[in-house]
Formats: sequence, structure tokens, C-alpha cells
Amino acid sequence: MDMPDALTTAPIAPLLSDAIDLGYLDPAEAVFAQTLGGFLSMKYKGTDYPRVAVRRSLPLGMPNEYLSLADAEGKEIAILRDLTRLAPDQRKLVESELNRRYYCPNIVDVKSVKDQLGYVYFELTVQGSGAPAPRMCAVKDVNKNIRMLSDDDVIMFDVDGNRYRIPSLKALNAKSRKRLEPYLF
Amino acid sequence: MARFTRYCPEYMEDAFREHGVDVGGILFAIHTDMGADGAHADTYTAVTRDALLILTGEEIVTRMDGARRIVAKFASRSFESIPLEGIKELTNDRLVATGQLCAITDDDSARALLLYSVGFLGDAERLAQVVKNVKAGVPALRDVSVDTDRFCPKCGRRYPESGHARCPNCMDQRSITLRLMGFFKHYQRKVLAVLAVMILGSAVSILTPQIGSRMLFDEVLTPGGSYFAMLLPFVALIFLVRAVNAGLNMLYGFVLARTVPWIVYDLKMRIFEAMQRLSVGFYTSKRTGALMNRINRDANNIYWFFVDGFPYLIVNGLTFAGVLTLMCLMSMKLAAVVMIVLPLSVVFFRILWGFFKRFHHKNFVYGAQLNSMLSDSINGQRVIKAYAREDAEAQRFAAVGGKQAGIDVKMNNAAFTAFPLIYLFMFLGQVVVTMVGGVMVVEGELSLGSFLTFVAYLQMLYGPLEFMSWVSNWWARCVDSAQRVFEIIDAKPDITEPEHPADVKGIRGDITVKNARFEYDPATPVLKGLDLTVESGKMLGIVGKTGAGKSTLANLIARLYDVNEGEIAIDGVNVKEWPLTMLRGGIGIVSQDIYLFIGSIADNVRYAQPGASMEDVIRAAKAAAAHEFIMKLPDGYETRVGAGGQDLSGGEKQRLSIARTILQNPKILILDEATAAMDTETEAAIQASLAALSKNRTTIAIAHRLSTLRDADSLAVIEDGRVIETGTHRELMTKMGAYFKLYKLQMEGLKVINMDAE
Repeated sequence: MDMPDALTTAPIAPLLSDAIDLGYLDPAEAVFAQTLGGFLSMKYKGTDYPRVAVRRSLPLGMPNEYLSLADAEGKEIAILRDLTRLAPDQRKLVESELNRRYYCPNIVDVKSVKDQLGYVYFELTVQGSGAPAPRMCAVKDVNKNIRMLSDDDVIMFDVDGNRYRIPSLKALNAKSRKRLEPYLF
Repeated sequence: MARFTRYCPEYMEDAFREHGVDVGGILFAIHTDMGADGAHADTYTAVTRDALLILTGEEIVTRMDGARRIVAKFASRSFESIPLEGIKELTNDRLVATGQLCAITDDDSARALLLYSVGFLGDAERLAQVVKNVKAGVPALRDVSVDTDRFCPKCGRRYPESGHARCPNCMDQRSITLRLMGFFKHYQRKVLAVLAVMILGSAVSILTPQIGSRMLFDEVLTPGGSYFAMLLPFVALIFLVRAVNAGLNMLYGFVLARTVPWIVYDLKMRIFEAMQRLSVGFYTSKRTGALMNRINRDANNIYWFFVDGFPYLIVNGLTFAGVLTLMCLMSMKLAAVVMIVLPLSVVFFRILWGFFKRFHHKNFVYGAQLNSMLSDSINGQRVIKAYAREDAEAQRFAAVGGKQAGIDVKMNNAAFTAFPLIYLFMFLGQVVVTMVGGVMVVEGELSLGSFLTFVAYLQMLYGPLEFMSWVSNWWARCVDSAQRVFEIIDAKPDITEPEHPADVKGIRGDITVKNARFEYDPATPVLKGLDLTVESGKMLGIVGKTGAGKSTLANLIARLYDVNEGEIAIDGVNVKEWPLTMLRGGIGIVSQDIYLFIGSIADNVRYAQPGASMEDVIRAAKAAAAHEFIMKLPDGYETRVGAGGQDLSGGEKQRLSIARTILQNPKILILDEATAAMDTETEAAIQASLAALSKNRTTIAIAHRLSTLRDADSLAVIEDGRVIETGTHRELMTKMGAYFKLYKLQMEGLKVINMDAE
């Protein structure tokens, strides 16, 4: 059935993308640097931001996309669509800031699991950005604090608020997997 | 707690000494887990009188001695000494899963000093406090707890939750059991009766095969037996034994049913009373939120273990021991065979059970997912329909449902394979015993009756054995529940009745807040040194942005929380010294979150004054502009509200809560956004009654809409946890500061929609 032209072509309401500007960062205009005090700074469109916080919109699913850049007061300056759009040296600076904020080492080995009176004690080997390191931690309310992000991807929160990740259960050694299995919900 | 003047573990001293540090000068030291780049490293940070020392490297722990680690070697990578001079203060920023210690210098620039995973936030805050103490010239460890208080002295592990000296690893299961048993104290006689009946019951059931098998075959049916051919009396005897057994079972059930519910009632009452005693802070902390949800489940876990598990544990234990003893008495040789076969079948049973349990767990997980999806979908029907997402919801459900069905298939397969195998193996044991026993009968070593009794006994062993193999899990669950229950019973309320209450007759209504500091969570201050005064009988209006700390102030005045620093005084007496009932009885809060209890509207209005007359209830409802809507309800003041009762709108509930406070007639009235959820007309009506009520009463009105504060004697603007402006409306308008800006902003907003608030 033919529709009258006016109905098919005229926009009924303005598109969301026309109405709201996401405020993407123009990578060509941004210059990141590390300050003497050890913070990330940014020069953007003629303004100096001496201390910039980088936050992930999707820390679990898309850790390197839609990064929000905010000033010292927490006000958003712009959104970086994709980390790969930055020059390699600039990218490294932002990445190290992200690593500091979102420390979440991977679990590479589960040495022992001990279930005691509502707490589950884990003896782990974890790996962050450096060498693997031993780690002991306690988890409470396992059905809430050990979460399956997909059939293969696990995130765990200990009583202190530390996060650990298993990006692929299948890739974990069989013994570790077997020790973890009763606690996966 | 032992008092320390300085704190630095020996192993850290050794490492610092290598860098030429005079370790005697170290006042406090902490150990964190990261280098500045976020990679794993061991970092020791120490405070001396004049410097901050940061040592980063790798430690190799050779031996842990309880809470103390003894480090063999520390391979240092970097060492830095930062003079305290020039540092104004140390602050901690909480990032997502890390924390960062920063130094704020005298020229207000910041420098990142230390990065650590978030578990060390408490340690880093202590370090900042020590530096603060050193700068202030007070003892370095004042208000600082040291490392050893946070480790279990027995096993050396950190307590899983800070401020909570409880180590689940070392928690004495026996002491929990004893305490749980304590609940039976008042019911000693009944419990003893239950035990006696159970023991008797076990004895009778153990004796049954002796009569039903051994005596029947050896003495009654065998020529030459003592009771040869006396069949009728013997059958009667067998029946009698059975009847006694049945009678005992009935008696036992009867006594138990009369005892256990009362024990659980005691337990629930103790929990409930403890909960009433605890402070608001206890309920808002996340940890206890989850705790509360589990209370019912915990009480039930304990209940079922004591009704179902415990008695059978005793019966089964006694039966097992009794049967085994009798077997040994009848034939040591055959008993020895049983003792070899039995453990084997236990092992086999456990292996199969473990295999089966894995499917069971997965099935449970998917089942729980389906359940939550179902409730999600039922509660969200309106939204699902509004967005036409019915099909998508069905697909979501189908995906998980399909997974569960798949696991079900596997589980059923496992069950159909596992259980026949278990029974077959059990039977195999019986075959071995039959074989050996049969030979003994043929060779005249054992009578036929004894042999048959033996086989009967063997079958009596499997039940208890199976029970024992899983009752330990059940018991662990019960102890787990019990320790959570005890945690609530033992919890100390943050807000307690003063030991030496001030000698006061009643509240007059002067309020002074001096340098009040407060935080709900560590490192996130809400009030940062707030000062205020309100004279008795006057009205103070408080304005400020969301999250500025306005409602927190109201909670602190009524002492629902205590300030961390500073002081709040009423009539010149610190709120901490007021008798709690007098303090809270004299302060009325109408807040944003309204709670109506299950009951009639009238009961809810007179909640604070249960003896109030019906006239007063109606008067209060009229003052709160609630009377009219109440009269439109079919049951008027008898309408049931609260969970499961009549649905009331937000504004209607708020009016009932105002009526409640009006009836309470407090000397200090705190209105925390009391009229926020109402239409303009109703608000005007209530404003008029509130204005009449606030005469001769100290009133603190917190509001977002400035027009509601027009009658205030003075106004205070709160921003970022501090009062930044005070004065009357006129004074603040001429000052043209923060209040002026807020006022203008709201007036402009009204002009846009062609309204004029003036």
C-alpha cells in the first residue's frame, strides 16, 4: 500500500541525536599530560584542566569506549568515544589513569576455597598489570558478590570492596574451575 | 585494647633500617599492596615527627606467626622521604576499587603519594590521622587503632569486616552450639522427656529383630527351642513390641511439638527486642540490610534443624551404636565383615552424591533466576505492556527456562543412574554378609535366627549412615544461621542512653550546633564543621541543594545518629546527655520518607500518643488538612492502611504523618520537606496550620521551595556540609549572595510559566 509522501518523509519528532549533544571529545584538540603531583591533566580547546578524572560508562562490557572526562569538581568536560582514537603516547597516559581507578586483577589460579560460617575464603593468584601475586580474600553473600556476567565471564567482590575478574572460565585450569563451581550463580 | 605510643612492625623496621632510617623515630607505619603504577608491589609507608617515608619493593614472606609476618627479605625498588613541612594535610580519595593518598601542600596544590587496593582505605585513613595529630602537636596515635586490633590473634587473618572483631575462621563452633543449647534451658524437663522417649524408642526398635527374627526362628520354629510351637503368644508379643514402638513415636512427637515452637518463639523475641534497641545506623548500613532479610530464614533454619535434624541425629546415632554393639556381641567375625563393607559403601555413596550435587546446584541457580524473572515480569507488567515488550520478555524467560530444562535432563539421568547404583552397591554388601554368614550357618557356627537377625540389622545401619553423611552440612547451615542471629542479639547500639543523664525536666527549645562533622561512610564527609543556633520558639528555615546535608542535620538533632566531631546542644545540654525518651519525645520530625504502620488511620495518627482522644485525632487531622480525604474513604478513620491496606497517595500519607506529629505536640518541630509532595492548594492549607502550630515552638523547616519559608524568623543556607549564609529573608536579599541567587532562580522559573510567587 502506498503511503502519502508527507507521512513517510516528514519527521514526527526531532531525532534524539539532533536534540541532545553527547559532547564527544575531539581527540585532535586534546593534549594529556602527567602533572608533577602525579595526576592526569588535559589541555582542551584552550582550557587547562590540571586534574582530570576518567570514568568508564561501561566498565565491564566496553572498558575502552564512552569514557567520561571530568574536571576536579566532577563536572564532565567531554566523552571520549574510543580510546583507540588517541595517539599512542596519549592513550598510554589515559590507560594508566584508568588502571589506577579500575584496579581489577584477573584470577589466574584458585589455590583453595574454604566455606566458613557465611564467609568464603579464597586463596588466589591474581594478575593485574604486573606479575602474578598471591592474594587471600573473603567473600560474603556469594550469590550476590560472585556474579556471572555471561556463561563464561565472572566478577567477584570481596568484603573489602576489591574486585576480581575471570574473563574466561573455560580458560581457567580445571582444578580452579572445580573449586569455584559451587559458588557460581 | 593495648595503648601504643608508636606502632611499626619489626619486619618493616628492618626494611627501613637498610635505608639509614632511625627506626626509633617511626611513629606509625602501614603496609599497602601497590606501586604508584597500580601494579602489585609491597609498599611500606611510615610517619616520623618530620617526614613521611615511602618504601616500595617486593617482600618475601617466609613465615607467618599468627598475626605477625616475619619477612626474610625485602628487595627494595625505591625509597623516598617527604618532609612534613609544607604538607597541610593528607587526604584519601576513594576510586572504584582503589584508594589514593594525596598530600595537600600549603599552597593548596595536590600530590598523589600512594595507591592501594580499597581494602587498605582504613589503614590509609589512620595514616592521615597520625599526620594530622603530629601537625596538631597531640599524641601521634590519639584516635588511631593499630594494626593488631584488626587481625585475629589466633589465626592471623584479617577480620573480614573492619570494626567487627569476629573471625569466622576461628569462630568456636562449640561455643555457638552451647549458646544455642542455652535456649533449651527453660525447657529442661521437656527436653529430657523428649530424649528419654527417643532413647526408649531406639532401644525398642533395636530389640525388634531379636524377637522377630532370632527368637522366632531359633526358639519358636526350631524343634527343641525353649518356646517351640508357641506361635500365638509369640505373634502377640511381636505385635506388642510394634505397638509400644508406635506409642513411643506418638509420645515423642507430642512432647516435641509442644516444646520446640516455644524455643523458637523465645529466639524470635530476643531478635526482635535486640532489633528495637539498635540505632538507625545499624539499619541503613548495607551489611545489616542483608542481615535483616535473612532473619526469618535463619530462625527457620534453626527451627527445622531442631525439629527435624537434631532428634533424628540422636535416634540415628543411638541406633547405629546399639546395632553395631549387638552385632559384635552376636558374632565378632560377621561384625568384622560388616565393618569392612560399610565404609566402602559410604565412600561410594559420597562420590555419587558429589557428582549429583553439581547438577543440583546448577538446577537451583537456574530455578532462582526463573523465579526472579517471574516476579520481575509480574511487577513490571504495566511497563512491559506500555512498551509492547511482551514477546521479548517471553524470549528472555524461554532462554533461562531452556537452560534449566537441559540441566534437568542431565540431573534426571544422573539420578536414574546414581540411585540404582547406590542400592546395588548396598545390596552387594548384603551379598557378602550373606555369603560369609551362610557358610557360618552351614558349618553350625551361627544359628539361622541369629543370621537372619544379622541381615535385618545390616539393613538398619544404612538409614543412619546415609543420614550422618549429610547431616553435617545441615548442622553447618544451622550454626551459620545461629551465628548471624547472635550477631544481631550481641550488636551494640551506636546510640545509647547516657550513663549519667543530665538533670533536666523538659525541653525548652534552644538549639546550638557547634562545628558538627559527620560522615555515614568513611572518606565521604556529609557535614564539615556546621554551626547553627536557633532560639527557643523561633523558626529557622534551612535551604540548600540536594545532598548538602540538610536532612542529616535533622537526624543529628533528634540523635538518630551521633556527630563524629563537634557538639549539638539543646537548652545548653549536649544531646548525648539528654535522657533518650525525653529528647525524642520532645522533638517531632515530619520527613520525606513517611512510614504508615499496618492498622487504622486513627491508630497511625495517635502512634506517638496512644491515649489521645478521638476528638484530638480529628483535630490533628484537620490541622494537617487530612480530615477531608479521610472522610471520603468508605471506612473513614477506621480505614486500614500500611502494607496490604488502602492505597494512599504520597501527599495523603504525608498529611497523615503531619497529623501524627501535630498530635505528639513536640517542643521542637523539624519539618524536612514536609510539604514537598503536595499540590499548591493543599500546601497552602497546611502552611497555615503549621504556622499556627509553630507558635511558641522551636521550628526548623527544611525546604526546597523558598516560598514555604516566608514565615521563618531567620534563614540558613547550607552548602557542602557548612552554613555559608545566615540572616532574615530581607538581610539575605540585600546581601545578594547564595540565597539571593537561589531565590532569583526560583522566581524566574515561576515567571516562565506566568506565575508570580509574590
